[in-house]
Amino acid sequence: MSEFHEQRLDNGLRVWLEFMPDVSSAAVGFLVRTGARDEPPEQAGVSHFLEHMCFKGTPKRDWRQVTVDFDEMGSTYNAFTSKEKTVYFGWVRAADLERQTELLADMMRSRLPSEEFETERKVILEEIAMSEDQLDRHLYELLHEKIYGEHPLGWPVLGHTRTVSALQRDQMAAYFEERYNPANLVLIVAGNVPPPRAWSVAQEVCGAWTARAPRPPRSRPEIRCGGVASSRLPRFKQQAVALVYPAPSAVDPDDETAEALAAILGGQNSRFFWRIVQAGIAPVASAVRVDYSDNGLMIVYGFCEPPNAERLVDALRREIGDLVERGAEGEELQRVKNRRRTSLATESEAPYYRLMQLAQDLDMFGRPRNVEERLAAVDAVSVAGLQDYLRRWPMNDEHFLVSVGPRAWPSE
Amino acid sequence: MEGRPESRYKNRVFPDGRYFHRRLDCGLLLAVEVLPARKSVSLEMRFLSGMAAEPADRLGLAFLTEQTISKGTERRSGQGLSDAFDALGALHGSWVGRESIGFRCTCLPEYVDGVLDLFQEMLRTPTFPEESCRIAVELANQELTALEDDPGELARKYSARHAYGPLLGRHPYGERDTLARIGRNDIISYWQQNICAGRLLVAAAGPVDPPRLVERLEAAFAGFGMTGTPGWTSAEGAAEAESAFTPGRWHYEKELEQQQIVICWPGVPMTHADHPVERVLLSLLGEGMSSRLFTEVREKLGLVYWVGAWHEHPRRAGMIHLGASSTPGQCARTHATLLREVDRLADDLTAGELARAQTLLIARSDTHGDITRARTSELAADLFYYERPVSIEEKNAAVASVTIEDIRRYLHEHPRDGLCVVTLGPTALADSATDAASSQAEAVSAVGAGVPPPNAVAARPASETCA
Repeated sequence: MSEFHEQRLDNGLRVWLEFMPDVSSAAVGFLVRTGARDEPPEQAGVSHFLEHMCFKGTPKRDWRQVTVDFDEMGSTYNAFTSKEKTVYFGWVRAADLERQTELLADMMRSRLPSEEFETERKVILEEIAMSEDQLDRHLYELLHEKIYGEHPLGWPVLGHTRTVSALQRDQMAAYFEERYNPANLVLIVAGNVPPPRAWSVAQEVCGAWTARAPRPPRSRPEIRCGGVASSRLPRFKQQAVALVYPAPSAVDPDDETAEALAAILGGQNSRFFWRIVQAGIAPVASAVRVDYSDNGLMIVYGFCEPPNAERLVDALRREIGDLVERGAEGEELQRVKNRRRTSLATESEAPYYRLMQLAQDLDMFGRPRNVEERLAAVDAVSVAGLQDYLRRWPMNDEHFLVSVGPRAWPSE
Repeated sequence: MEGRPESRYKNRVFPDGRYFHRRLDCGLLLAVEVLPARKSVSLEMRFLSGMAAEPADRLGLAFLTEQTISKGTERRSGQGLSDAFDALGALHGSWVGRESIGFRCTCLPEYVDGVLDLFQEMLRTPTFPEESCRIAVELANQELTALEDDPGELARKYSARHAYGPLLGRHPYGERDTLARIGRNDIISYWQQNICAGRLLVAAAGPVDPPRLVERLEAAFAGFGMTGTPGWTSAEGAAEAESAFTPGRWHYEKELEQQQIVICWPGVPMTHADHPVERVLLSLLGEGMSSRLFTEVREKLGLVYWVGAWHEHPRRAGMIHLGASSTPGQCARTHATLLREVDRLADDLTAGELARAQTLLIARSDTHGDITRARTSELAADLFYYERPVSIEEKNAAVASVTIEDIRRYLHEHPRDGLCVVTLGPTALADSATDAASSQAEAVSAVGAGVPPPNAVAARPASETCA
């Protein structure tokens, strides 16, 4: 049975540990509470570019030594940037906890070496080029752009070729100074690590960091609920379509209800699977909830042969209408809960999975949630609750239709 | 294989009781890793069949069988079967490989018996409804369209044709003309010939009681066929793959922002004594950010975002791959740098670098072992290649024993003088650019110019190849 422990260093850095005595490994990570939505418009992409630069040189190491030290532990490591956070992590044998934590902490003090800046800019531009070849990225970026307008949630995490090409090292350094400090960071450990060991290494490698002010508050976006947007991309062979509805934020009490609703509509053994995919209309039809700290989206989407786009959208709308009108069945909700129970059991076995969930929970709730608490929230979802949800977050009214692919459809 | 050094893995006894291994009376081969503290049980069932068992004019048949076997049984509809799995909270899936069709499931320990009952029902009494078969063909055609929008997978598909030849180089979705020939009777015939206890491998990990599992499996699969008659064996497949490998350079034109590059050449099978050497070699090249390719191609030159090295293993063969994607202007330099780094390993590999690659492989097998599902996949692969479990400790010892001399010898014995190079994107690799950048590229070009394979579609639009 795992247990949570917390400590706050004198400089304000919060350290959270999930002690998992039954495993042999440990995962360590730094949650940095800044992401694409916290960037000035002319610096779109700086959070992600910075994430790359943190691997490129520290006070103690050049980029070569950073990677060598990770690999000498056999760490499974990486970092990712999203709209609201940046996470650096390493998953190692429990005996290597101290080395892994020290290395990650060193990266949080990056030198942002100017001699590496241009090379890494080229890597980022290659990454943007790669995303241009992915149809799902076009759909995701277009719907964010149209729904959030000028708000920073509307621009891509990678930034634009224009902004990344123009970004100066000094601008990145200022952003780094302001965001990568104890008020904005959380050190997270999950694995077979007794608390005194975690506190000791945290104090040793992070204790001297200087306290600073937290990130500036975020502006709340205005969501455009209705409309049509399309982008004709002749080189793709499929048409990708999405219907987008407002949905609760990650911290809303309706959180698990929204997740259950998405699972009833799309995914394994869902309504879309049997009535759309298995009707031969499209190979992919699903639903996903995107949850930000102060708002959310329910994205119902599919990929199909271009001539099938109307049929796919009609089918998606029909299934949503059926759910709104007749409600969910108790048995289908129970099936979703059963799958979730098994998922949570497997998640609780591995420090890597727990670290990722802790990063999400600490960012959104400011505290960890154990498997039992999350299971209780899942169990509390009811058929009546789903009906209430659909009254609060209607899916039969206004929504945004987004389409990308070789067809210029629908016209805006 | 005959005439080849045997595997380094010799330990066939596991005195600590962690592993259980037995050929059951019903014909299936079982391996279990008992992990009492885990909260979930993971199961994997593999039938020795896959794409290699398809008739040449029915490509896609294995995929269609895998897709339709769950769409109805003598007792339940397809949806009823899915509901029954969900009633147990069983997370299940399936896939098709070159030489196997697999079914996997993760569930809570108390539901293992129920899950086995459902697998038995699905595998032994499928009804393959006519409409489900028709829809599966329709969806496979749509997946072929979707594949056109997935440049990385598309490049690997084209590469496989040249690397493995017509038997092992097949793609799960088949081709449009072969899909058009497939009907319900073909699917039933494939199922009858390939899905039987004699071709079944079962791996399980978690808090499992092996005697209880044996009892349940014997009851579930007794009398479920013993051999099947796929008309093909892994040894034949391997022999054909060896003769089918076609060195050369092929470009598939497609409008893309980035150019995809796949380079491959024959490696060794999993059962070869040099397999651990090859594992370490691949780790040196592409595992971790300090690896040669990541360091030289990405970190020093900024040519790519993605670069990798990996090996693929049909049951009795092996193929080494290098891959990257970069904008067209960087492609020739990326290609040349990839090849240069393989050659350079034979000259300047250091003891520290070797030790790091070994530690990386060993430590990751330890940490990833905390995931029950990962243990099952490893065990299922052991059955597939070695027909018995091989302990983590034995695999790690083999990795740890690899020396610099082993790496040099391996590179000497496997010269890269006949490479298969596939590019997908707007422009072919210019001979002048690669010639200037790499002498290795010259050899590739020279070989490729003379020996086009029967199904090569050099320098034609990629979209034409599936038409």
